[in-house]
Amino acid sequence: MIFYRFLVFICLLVSCSACSVAPWERGNLAKQQMLITPNPAHAALRAHVFDSKEASSGGIGGAGGGCGCN
Amino acid sequence: MHILLLQLLIFFTSAVSALEENALAVSCPAMMKEGGGQLDLQKFRGKVVYLDFWATWCPPCKKSMPFLNNLRNELVDQGFEIIAISVDEEPDAAYLFLKEYPVDYRVATDTTGQCPKIYDVKAMPSAYLIDRKGVIRYIHLGFREGDKDEIRRKVIKLLSEKIEG
Repeated sequence: MIFYRFLVFICLLVSCSACSVAPWERGNLAKQQMLITPNPAHAALRAHVFDSKEASSGGIGGAGGGCGCN
Repeated sequence: MHILLLQLLIFFTSAVSALEENALAVSCPAMMKEGGGQLDLQKFRGKVVYLDFWATWCPPCKKSMPFLNNLRNELVDQGFEIIAISVDEEPDAAYLFLKEYPVDYRVATDTTGQCPKIYDVKAMPSAYLIDRKGVIRYIHLGFREGDKDEIRRKVIKLLSEKIEG
């Protein structure tokens, strides 16, 4: 019985390899909206504002003093 | 129970038979541009064929197109032909792209992904250089600027080979 359980486990383990995305199926993944930062300019602006406002709390950067004026 | 488990094991662990170098190239269900019917590689016997898998979302594929077009136009009289199979899942993507950036070589589309599966495409773009006898002699993965000379050299080498009998 242990052998069968092991066999089923191996089957399930190996079946995960069938879930990979083939090179020719990456059309949707290549779309702009699938990027982690779809709009780099917008992300940079948000990061700058976040830095300015949150710098005093630390952890993200050193710009500004938390006044939000730059 | 035994048989079922063994079948499961075999199913999940067996690799799909892939076309490798020195294997005979086979036709696949790709549709030729402008109602040209299904791709039939038999029609290209006697020619050196560069079978290219590409997609509109693949930047290196698009980068290779001007080079391939020039190479094809330069060597077409010697019996060289390029067949580019678009693997875009959207049926019109390739044709809309080609309207803007036309090429002289043959284009086919396979929206189902059966052709790249048969050829076991490992990268985009992937190209299979087929000799005059229909044998895959060289598989080229990806495309970089430095690959141009190598591709040209291999095509010219195959063109210089004579068919026996």
